[in-house]
Amino acid sequence: MITMDTDRLVDDYLRRLESAAAHLQRSRRAELVSEIREHIEAALREEDAAGEAAVRNVLERLGPPEEIVDAAEPPPTPARTGKLEIAALIALVVPFIGWLFGIVLVLVSQAWSRRDKAVGIALALAAVLLPFLTLAAGSEHAGSSPLPVGEQRAPLPEAGGGDRTSIVEVMLFAVIFLAGLPSALYLGWRLRRHPAA
Amino acid sequence: MEPAQTRNVMSQLRRGTVEYCVLALLRDGERYGFELVRDLSAVDGLVTSEGTIYPLLTRLRKDELVTTFWRESESGPPRRYYRLTDAGNAALDDFTKDWARFRDSVDAILSKGRR
Repeated sequence: MITMDTDRLVDDYLRRLESAAAHLQRSRRAELVSEIREHIEAALREEDAAGEAAVRNVLERLGPPEEIVDAAEPPPTPARTGKLEIAALIALVVPFIGWLFGIVLVLVSQAWSRRDKAVGIALALAAVLLPFLTLAAGSEHAGSSPLPVGEQRAPLPEAGGGDRTSIVEVMLFAVIFLAGLPSALYLGWRLRRHPAA
Repeated sequence: MEPAQTRNVMSQLRRGTVEYCVLALLRDGERYGFELVRDLSAVDGLVTSEGTIYPLLTRLRKDELVTTFWRESESGPPRRYYRLTDAGNAALDDFTKDWARFRDSVDAILSKGRR
Protein backbone atom coordinates (compact mmCIF):
# COMPACT_ATOMS: atom_id res chain seq x y z
CA MET A 1 0.00 0.00 0.00
CA ILE A 2 1.08 3.52 -0.67
CA THR A 3 2.16 5.17 2.51
CA MET A 4 2.27 8.84 3.32
CA ASP A 5 5.96 9.01 2.62
CA THR A 6 5.82 7.56 -0.86
CA ASP A 7 2.84 9.77 -1.64
CA ARG A 8 4.93 12.72 -0.68
CA LEU A 9 7.77 11.58 -2.91
CA VAL A 10 5.41 11.52 -5.88
CA ASP A 11 3.82 14.83 -4.94
CA ASP A 12 7.21 16.46 -4.60
CA TYR A 13 8.24 15.15 -7.96
CA LEU A 14 5.08 16.39 -9.64
CA ARG A 15 5.42 19.76 -7.95
CA ARG A 16 8.96 20.06 -9.24
CA LEU A 17 7.69 19.17 -12.68
CA GLU A 18 4.97 21.76 -12.45
CA SER A 19 7.32 24.54 -11.47
CA ALA A 20 9.89 23.53 -14.06
CA ALA A 21 7.09 23.76 -16.61
CA ALA A 22 6.05 27.24 -15.52
CA HIS A 23 6.88 28.65 -18.93
CA LEU A 24 4.64 26.20 -20.77
CA GLN A 25 1.10 27.06 -21.73
CA ARG A 26 -1.29 26.26 -18.93
CA SER A 27 -3.09 23.50 -20.83
CA ARG A 28 0.19 22.03 -22.04
CA ARG A 29 1.55 22.03 -18.51
CA ALA A 30 -1.54 20.37 -17.09
CA GLU A 31 -1.39 17.72 -19.78
CA LEU A 32 2.26 16.97 -19.16
CA VAL A 33 1.78 16.70 -15.41
CA SER A 34 -1.21 14.40 -15.81
CA GLU A 35 0.67 12.20 -18.28
CA ILE A 36 3.56 11.82 -15.89
CA ARG A 37 1.16 11.16 -13.02
CA GLU A 38 -0.55 8.46 -15.06
CA HIS A 39 2.84 6.97 -15.85
CA ILE A 40 3.79 6.81 -12.20
CA GLU A 41 0.50 5.19 -11.25
CA ALA A 42 0.73 2.70 -14.09
CA ALA A 43 4.32 1.86 -13.22
CA LEU A 44 3.49 1.24 -9.58
CA ARG A 45 0.50 -0.90 -10.50
CA GLU A 46 2.63 -2.83 -12.95
CA GLU A 47 5.34 -3.53 -10.45
CA ASP A 48 2.73 -4.33 -7.87
CA ALA A 49 4.87 -2.59 -5.36
CA ALA A 50 4.55 0.76 -3.76
CA GLY A 51 7.35 0.75 -1.25
CA GLU A 52 9.65 3.68 -1.07
CA ALA A 53 12.30 1.89 -3.12
CA ALA A 54 9.81 1.13 -5.89
CA VAL A 55 8.61 4.73 -6.01
CA ARG A 56 12.14 6.07 -6.06
CA ASN A 57 13.00 3.67 -8.86
CA VAL A 58 10.04 4.79 -10.96
CA LEU A 59 10.90 8.46 -10.44
CA GLU A 60 14.52 7.86 -11.23
CA ARG A 61 13.65 6.16 -14.48
CA LEU A 62 11.46 9.09 -15.39
CA GLY A 63 14.44 11.37 -15.03
CA PRO A 64 14.74 14.86 -13.58
CA PRO A 65 11.56 16.94 -14.12
CA GLU A 66 13.67 19.69 -15.65
CA GLU A 67 14.85 17.31 -18.34
CA ILE A 68 11.30 16.29 -19.19
CA VAL A 69 10.23 19.91 -19.51
CA ASP A 70 13.31 20.62 -21.55
CA ALA A 71 12.22 17.95 -24.01
CA ALA A 72 8.84 19.65 -24.28
CA GLU A 73 10.13 23.17 -24.67
CA PRO A 74 13.42 24.43 -23.33
CA PRO A 75 12.81 27.29 -20.93
CA PRO A 76 13.75 30.69 -22.28
CA THR A 77 17.18 31.51 -20.95
CA PRO A 78 16.62 33.99 -18.17
CA ALA A 79 17.99 37.39 -19.07
CA ARG A 80 21.44 36.54 -17.85
CA THR A 81 22.78 39.24 -20.02
CA GLY A 82 26.33 39.88 -18.99
CA LYS A 83 27.73 43.17 -17.81
CA LEU A 84 29.72 43.28 -21.00
CA GLU A 85 26.59 43.45 -23.15
CA ILE A 86 24.97 46.09 -20.99
CA ALA A 87 28.16 48.16 -21.08
CA ALA A 88 28.22 47.81 -24.85
CA LEU A 89 24.63 49.02 -25.21
CA ILE A 90 25.23 51.98 -22.93
CA ALA A 91 28.48 52.87 -24.66
CA LEU A 92 26.80 52.84 -28.05
CA VAL A 93 24.56 55.76 -27.15
CA VAL A 94 27.45 57.88 -25.89
CA PRO A 95 28.85 59.92 -28.78
CA PHE A 96 32.35 59.48 -30.17
CA ILE A 97 34.43 57.59 -27.58
CA GLY A 98 31.32 55.62 -26.62
CA TRP A 99 30.68 54.51 -30.17
CA LEU A 100 34.19 53.19 -30.48
CA PHE A 101 34.01 51.51 -27.12
CA GLY A 102 30.60 50.08 -27.86
CA ILE A 103 31.66 48.64 -31.17
CA VAL A 104 34.72 47.01 -29.62
CA LEU A 105 32.60 45.54 -26.80
CA VAL A 106 30.03 44.24 -29.26
CA LEU A 107 32.80 42.56 -31.23
CA VAL A 108 34.24 41.00 -28.09
CA SER A 109 30.90 39.77 -26.73
CA GLN A 110 29.70 36.26 -27.39
CA ALA A 111 26.06 37.04 -26.79
CA TRP A 112 25.37 38.09 -30.35
CA SER A 113 25.63 36.07 -33.48
CA ARG A 114 28.02 37.22 -36.16
CA ARG A 115 25.06 38.47 -38.16
CA ASP A 116 23.65 40.45 -35.24
CA LYS A 117 27.00 42.08 -34.71
CA ALA A 118 27.32 42.99 -38.36
CA VAL A 119 23.85 44.53 -38.46
CA GLY A 120 24.32 46.34 -35.17
CA ILE A 121 27.66 47.83 -36.13
CA ALA A 122 26.43 48.72 -39.61
CA LEU A 123 23.50 50.54 -38.02
CA ALA A 124 25.83 52.43 -35.72
CA LEU A 125 28.19 53.37 -38.53
CA ALA A 126 25.37 54.37 -40.85
CA ALA A 127 23.71 56.50 -38.20
CA VAL A 128 26.98 58.20 -37.37
CA LEU A 129 28.33 58.62 -40.88
CA LEU A 130 25.17 59.47 -42.79
CA PRO A 131 24.56 62.89 -41.23
CA PHE A 132 28.20 63.83 -41.68
CA LEU A 133 28.11 62.75 -45.30
CA THR A 134 24.93 64.71 -45.98
CA LEU A 135 26.42 67.67 -44.23
CA ALA A 136 29.58 67.35 -46.29
CA ALA A 137 27.51 67.09 -49.44
CA GLY A 138 25.52 70.14 -48.36
CA SER A 139 28.60 72.21 -47.68
CA GLU A 140 29.98 71.24 -51.08
CA HIS A 141 26.95 72.92 -52.57
CA ALA A 142 27.43 75.85 -50.29
CA GLY A 143 31.04 75.89 -51.40
CA SER A 144 29.88 77.36 -54.71
CA SER A 145 29.23 80.63 -52.96
CA PRO A 146 32.23 82.90 -52.78
CA LEU A 147 32.73 82.63 -49.01
CA PRO A 148 34.42 79.61 -47.47
CA VAL A 149 32.10 77.52 -45.34
CA GLY A 150 33.64 78.45 -42.05
CA GLU A 151 33.31 82.16 -42.53
CA GLN A 152 29.76 81.96 -43.77
CA ARG A 153 28.12 81.48 -40.47
CA ALA A 154 30.34 83.48 -38.20
CA PRO A 155 29.63 87.13 -38.82
CA LEU A 156 25.96 87.48 -39.77
CA PRO A 157 24.20 88.10 -36.46
CA GLU A 158 20.53 88.94 -37.06
CA ALA A 159 20.09 87.55 -40.53
CA GLY A 160 17.90 84.53 -41.22
CA GLY A 161 21.10 82.66 -41.97
CA GLY A 162 21.97 82.67 -38.28
CA ASP A 163 18.73 80.94 -37.39
CA ARG A 164 19.30 78.35 -40.02
CA THR A 165 22.77 77.59 -38.70
CA SER A 166 21.51 77.14 -35.19
CA ILE A 167 18.78 74.85 -36.44
CA VAL A 168 21.39 72.85 -38.28
CA GLU A 169 23.53 72.78 -35.16
CA VAL A 170 20.66 71.62 -33.01
CA MET A 171 19.84 68.95 -35.52
CA LEU A 172 23.45 67.92 -35.72
CA PHE A 173 23.60 67.61 -31.95
CA ALA A 174 20.41 65.64 -31.90
CA VAL A 175 21.69 63.35 -34.61
CA ILE A 176 24.95 62.84 -32.78
CA PHE A 177 23.23 62.06 -29.53
CA LEU A 178 20.72 59.74 -31.14
CA ALA A 179 23.12 58.12 -33.58
CA GLY A 180 23.91 55.11 -31.44
CA LEU A 181 20.31 54.52 -30.48
CA PRO A 182 19.09 52.38 -33.40
CA SER A 183 22.09 50.13 -33.05
CA ALA A 184 21.69 49.83 -29.27
CA LEU A 185 17.98 49.13 -29.63
CA TYR A 186 18.56 46.53 -32.29
CA LEU A 187 21.27 44.75 -30.31
CA GLY A 188 19.21 44.92 -27.15
CA TRP A 189 16.27 43.41 -28.95
CA ARG A 190 18.40 40.61 -30.36
CA LEU A 191 19.71 39.97 -26.89
CA ARG A 192 16.17 39.34 -25.65
CA ARG A 193 15.22 37.13 -28.56
CA HIS A 194 18.41 35.15 -28.73
CA PRO A 195 20.00 35.10 -25.32
CA ALA A 196 23.54 33.84 -25.21
CA ALA A 197 23.68 30.13 -25.91
CA MET B 1 36.48 17.72 -24.09
CA GLU B 2 36.01 14.78 -26.38
CA PRO B 3 33.63 12.63 -24.34
CA ALA B 4 31.29 15.59 -23.97
CA GLN B 5 31.39 16.05 -27.71
CA THR B 6 30.47 12.42 -28.31
CA ARG B 7 27.66 12.59 -25.79
CA ASN B 8 26.30 15.63 -27.56
CA VAL B 9 26.33 13.90 -30.94
CA MET B 10 24.57 10.89 -29.46
CA SER B 11 21.93 12.99 -27.78
CA GLN B 12 21.24 14.79 -31.04
CA LEU B 13 21.08 11.53 -32.95
CA ARG B 14 18.75 10.15 -30.32
CA ARG B 15 16.52 13.18 -30.45
CA GLY B 16 16.14 12.81 -34.18
CA THR B 17 15.51 9.09 -34.27
CA VAL B 18 13.54 8.21 -31.14
CA GLU B 19 10.33 9.61 -32.57
CA TYR B 20 10.56 7.20 -35.48
CA CYS B 21 11.16 4.37 -33.06
CA VAL B 22 7.89 5.39 -31.40
CA LEU B 23 6.15 5.31 -34.76
CA ALA B 24 7.70 1.91 -35.47
CA LEU B 25 6.43 0.52 -32.17
CA LEU B 26 2.95 1.60 -33.21
CA ARG B 27 3.14 -0.04 -36.61
CA ASP B 28 1.50 -3.22 -35.40
CA GLY B 29 -1.34 -1.51 -33.61
CA GLU B 30 -2.24 0.89 -30.85
CA ARG B 31 -0.36 1.01 -27.56
CA TYR B 32 -0.82 2.96 -24.42
CA GLY B 33 1.69 5.48 -23.21
CA PHE B 34 3.23 3.56 -20.36
CA GLU B 35 3.69 0.47 -22.49
CA LEU B 36 5.35 2.46 -25.26
CA VAL B 37 7.69 4.16 -22.84
CA ARG B 38 8.74 0.93 -21.18
CA ASP B 39 9.37 -0.79 -24.50
CA LEU B 40 11.51 2.08 -25.68
CA SER B 41 13.51 2.31 -22.51
CA ALA B 42 14.12 -1.43 -22.57
CA VAL B 43 16.21 -0.91 -25.72
CA ASP B 44 19.79 -0.22 -24.82
CA GLY B 45 21.02 3.32 -25.24
CA LEU B 46 17.90 4.73 -26.87
CA VAL B 47 16.23 6.64 -24.08
CA THR B 48 18.02 8.16 -21.12
CA SER B 49 15.00 9.28 -19.13
CA GLU B 50 11.56 7.82 -19.66
CA GLY B 51 9.78 11.05 -18.87
CA THR B 52 11.12 12.78 -21.98
CA ILE B 53 9.07 10.48 -24.20
CA TYR B 54 5.80 12.11 -23.21
CA PRO B 55 6.62 15.49 -24.70
CA LEU B 56 7.71 13.61 -27.79
CA LEU B 57 4.35 11.84 -27.98
CA THR B 58 2.63 15.19 -27.71
CA ARG B 59 4.71 16.51 -30.57
CA LEU B 60 3.84 13.51 -32.73
CA ARG B 61 0.20 14.09 -32.00
CA LYS B 62 0.46 17.77 -32.89
CA ASP B 63 2.14 16.82 -36.15
CA GLU B 64 -0.75 14.41 -36.71
CA LEU B 65 1.55 11.43 -37.07
CA VAL B 66 -0.33 9.72 -34.24
CA THR B 67 -3.80 10.07 -32.77
CA THR B 68 -4.84 9.36 -29.22
CA PHE B 69 -7.94 7.96 -27.64
CA TRP B 70 -8.98 6.75 -24.22
CA ARG B 71 -9.83 3.20 -23.43
CA GLU B 72 -11.03 1.58 -20.24
CA SER B 73 -8.65 -0.83 -18.59
CA GLU B 74 -9.48 -3.86 -16.48
CA SER B 75 -7.26 -2.56 -13.73
CA GLY B 76 -7.19 1.08 -12.81
CA PRO B 77 -8.32 4.22 -14.62
CA PRO B 78 -8.79 4.63 -18.40
CA ARG B 79 -5.62 4.75 -20.44
CA ARG B 80 -4.52 7.07 -23.21
CA TYR B 81 -3.77 5.02 -26.31
CA TYR B 82 -1.75 6.05 -29.32
CA ARG B 83 -2.37 4.97 -32.87
CA LEU B 84 -0.45 5.63 -36.08
CA THR B 85 -2.14 7.87 -38.65
CA ASP B 86 -1.71 7.51 -42.42
CA ALA B 87 0.70 10.42 -42.34
CA GLY B 88 2.58 8.69 -39.54
CA ASN B 89 2.79 5.53 -41.57
CA ALA B 90 4.14 7.40 -44.57
CA ALA B 91 6.68 9.25 -42.42
CA LEU B 92 7.82 5.98 -40.93
CA ASP B 93 8.26 4.39 -44.36
CA ASP B 94 10.26 7.36 -45.60
CA PHE B 95 12.47 7.37 -42.54
CA THR B 96 13.04 3.63 -42.73
CA LYS B 97 14.45 3.97 -46.23
CA ASP B 98 16.49 7.07 -45.47
CA TRP B 99 17.84 5.58 -42.29
CA ALA B 100 18.97 2.38 -44.00
CA ARG B 101 20.86 4.38 -46.58
CA PHE B 102 22.34 6.70 -43.98
CA ARG B 103 23.37 3.85 -41.70
CA ASP B 104 24.99 1.93 -44.56
CA SER B 105 26.91 4.99 -45.69
CA VAL B 106 28.20 5.77 -42.21
CA ASP B 107 29.09 2.13 -41.60
CA ALA B 108 30.93 1.93 -44.90
CA ILE B 109 33.01 4.99 -44.13
CA LEU B 110 33.68 4.01 -40.53
CA SER B 111 34.89 0.54 -41.49
CA LYS B 112 36.96 1.91 -44.36
CA GLY B 113 38.76 4.21 -41.96
CA ARG B 114 39.66 1.32 -39.72
CA ARG B 115 41.57 -0.68 -42.32
